[in-house]
Amino acid sequence: MNSFNPLPATLGGLLIGLASAVLWLGNGRIAGISGIFGHLLPPGRDWTWRVLFVLALVGGTALTALLVPGLGVGGPGGAPAVLVSAPQGSGVPGWLWISLAGLLTGVGTQLANGCTSGHGVCGIARLSMRSFVSVGIFFAVAILTVTLTGVVS
Amino acid sequence: MTTTTRPSNLVVALISGLLFGAGLYISQMVDPLKVLRFLDFGAIPTGGWDPSLAFVIVAAIAVMFVAVRLGDTRATPLFEDHFHHPARKQIDAPLVVGSVLFGIGWGMSGICPGPALSLIAFWPSDLWLFILFLLVGSALGRLIMRRPVKGRAVAA
Repeated sequence: MNSFNPLPATLGGLLIGLASAVLWLGNGRIAGISGIFGHLLPPGRDWTWRVLFVLALVGGTALTALLVPGLGVGGPGGAPAVLVSAPQGSGVPGWLWISLAGLLTGVGTQLANGCTSGHGVCGIARLSMRSFVSVGIFFAVAILTVTLTGVVS
Repeated sequence: MTTTTRPSNLVVALISGLLFGAGLYISQMVDPLKVLRFLDFGAIPTGGWDPSLAFVIVAAIAVMFVAVRLGDTRATPLFEDHFHHPARKQIDAPLVVGSVLFGIGWGMSGICPGPALSLIAFWPSDLWLFILFLLVGSALGRLIMRRPVKGRAVAA
């Protein structure tokens, strides 16, 4: 059982908010990961800052795991990061479950033009009606999916 | 809407990416199981529910809310000619369908695009599959969105 601690959750959230604030006030860009990721695909325009952002995101995760070890998952002293497997008794192989989840996340975020960061953080902060609708739907559907599939055992 | 990327834009992207990655690790949203334990509302009666994600997103929105108001007082961002406001304003079918599909994928895995990339730092088994199919799905989604709708081309 994971222990809930509001302190790292809030501090991490403030950092994510700060990251979004820096990109908006500095470059006038939305820190939406699916948008940044999607624009790396051809015909990719303005891809240099996007590649740098993604590399820095991975580096920032690795670096913080070294500086603040053992917080939870990842890095030295932390539990190993593990992806979930398909619900028990479903007979679906884990690789298929994860691949399908990736595919749906990819198609879905490009159709909706945003994900948890672009709609969830930036869009809500901008009071965008599209983001309120999107966030309401993907949270509700995700909660339903977890509840109905019993993927958390 | 192509703008020239200045060195300052790259520095901003670097700082933002570093902060974003740090935030995902500190908040532990890099852990798919912790995300799923928030989405698992069925566990509320048994006390197994983890409200972390709510604290993360509310804190992030609060900071960004102030930043957006601050941006509204300025004509331009610090290192760019204009703010890149999203072009789409209407609530349309792709928004609704896309949000449903993303919700299913997120609920299946506990991984949204940010943590998917963040997890590269720890490279768990099968992550490459998720990212490969995230890429395939994204390409497919962008292809669908580029198709002209009702005789009118939709800008990317």
